[in-house]
Amino acid sequence: MSLKNLVTDWSRYRQGIEEGGFQHYEHRWGMTIDLNACIGCNACSTACYAENNLAVVGKERFAKGHFMHWMRVERYWDENYAEQQHPEQGASFLPMLCQQCGAAPCEPVCPVVATYHTPDGLNAQVYNRCIGSRYCNNNCPYRVRYFNFWSYYESSWPEPLNLQLNPDLTVRDKGVMEKCTFCVQRIRVAKDQAKMENRKVRDGEFTTACAQACPASAITFGDLMDQDSAVTKLWARHEVARHDDKGRPVQEQHKEHPELRGYRVLEELNTDPSVMYLERVREELA
Amino acid sequence: MQLIGTSRTRAGRYGWLAAALCMAGVLNTASAAEPVSMQYPIAPQGSYKGLDVQQPIEFPHDIHTAVNKINCLYCHTYARQSKVAGIPPTSKCMGCHSVIATDKPRIQKLTEYWTNKQPIPWLKVHDVPDFVHFTHERHLKRFIFDNPEVMNNLSVDTVAPVCAMCHGDMRAKTVARKDKPMTMGWCVSCHEKNGGPGDCWKCHK
Repeated sequence: MSLKNLVTDWSRYRQGIEEGGFQHYEHRWGMTIDLNACIGCNACSTACYAENNLAVVGKERFAKGHFMHWMRVERYWDENYAEQQHPEQGASFLPMLCQQCGAAPCEPVCPVVATYHTPDGLNAQVYNRCIGSRYCNNNCPYRVRYFNFWSYYESSWPEPLNLQLNPDLTVRDKGVMEKCTFCVQRIRVAKDQAKMENRKVRDGEFTTACAQACPASAITFGDLMDQDSAVTKLWARHEVARHDDKGRPVQEQHKEHPELRGYRVLEELNTDPSVMYLERVREELA
Repeated sequence: MQLIGTSRTRAGRYGWLAAALCMAGVLNTASAAEPVSMQYPIAPQGSYKGLDVQQPIEFPHDIHTAVNKINCLYCHTYARQSKVAGIPPTSKCMGCHSVIATDKPRIQKLTEYWTNKQPIPWLKVHDVPDFVHFTHERHLKRFIFDNPEVMNNLSVDTVAPVCAMCHGDMRAKTVARKDKPMTMGWCVSCHEKNGGPGDCWKCHK
């Protein structure tokens, strides 16, 4: 590591969005989750477990909050339905994963720079560097960072289940923080392949495990810097923007038209998330 | 060499300087004319004395490459198209050794494996940790297939120095032995000199 790398490159990676952010993106991976389409089946979560070597922790540890699901489906209940004959009709789901914030609150607080911003617009977590201070988790407003309290690999994949582990990822050990990576191992393969063929990464060439598994096609994944990608068009159609006309970060979407359902979770915190949700629409109760 | 100056002493002094410059120029052009070294990428520095790996058959890399001039990529053919360089199947060995040097004890051992339809239990010498993403194909594209210096004169003598950046010169070794440290700092030193990616997630997975 040269001094230049430490001083120049790192501070560039760690620039906040107020300072203009990291401007030399190669890609800006983004996602759209349509809550109208989401049926809450947890297929995305299951696919994530399989793809990313997530440990199954068991009931007791789960109850203590030691769960490791990078993608979780949150349930919410509409109070207006509580008095109805079928109150469960008021259920709605919100798949919550790392929002890959452009101005991530987790990044500046890491004492050892184990989490940083990549030129792809991702919040990276370097397991080898992580010392397990859990500061990032405490600063994450979405609560999507998970800590390895135990050496789960000792019990999570008894023989012959260890053979199902994905070799493109590390199996994390006790004492490190981990989180959704937007399936960076797939991104890496796609980028390598594109470079071998001297072309750009094509939209739809690959997708994340959750998007691939979703039976309702609620999840769209792609490059927000590619003007023709499906995800860029969805963001544009719902008039959700990361920056306003003057290039300032957007903290609130001003929408009048009811058809425009796009929003970003906790946008007002100025985190610049890369995940846009499309609001769920219900018929009005009589 | 004659330099005309107003005073003899000055002329003498400048004469020596000019001569020195000329000599430096000669040296410069000489090193630029070296066939490969200038155009080749800057190899990472550092050495390491690896363990003596006892392979089932003591495979002589030097005879195959230095003497018989077989290209590295003839046997390690997967290096150009995948993450791992791989070891050749026994059928590739037998392609030649069903007729060549069949009286040598090492070839007889090889033929025994072949007739018994058993794979040869080669041992891995160069292994990167599980948390590292390393792909041969990208490195070969950069240093061999995108390098006109190698591609215009494709032979074992142009390919082997590229492989030698990480594996040491196999033309001078019998069985493979790790003689580069293969640590992160060593990888990064080469990435910095040759403009490789500096992003953690390029390699750490």
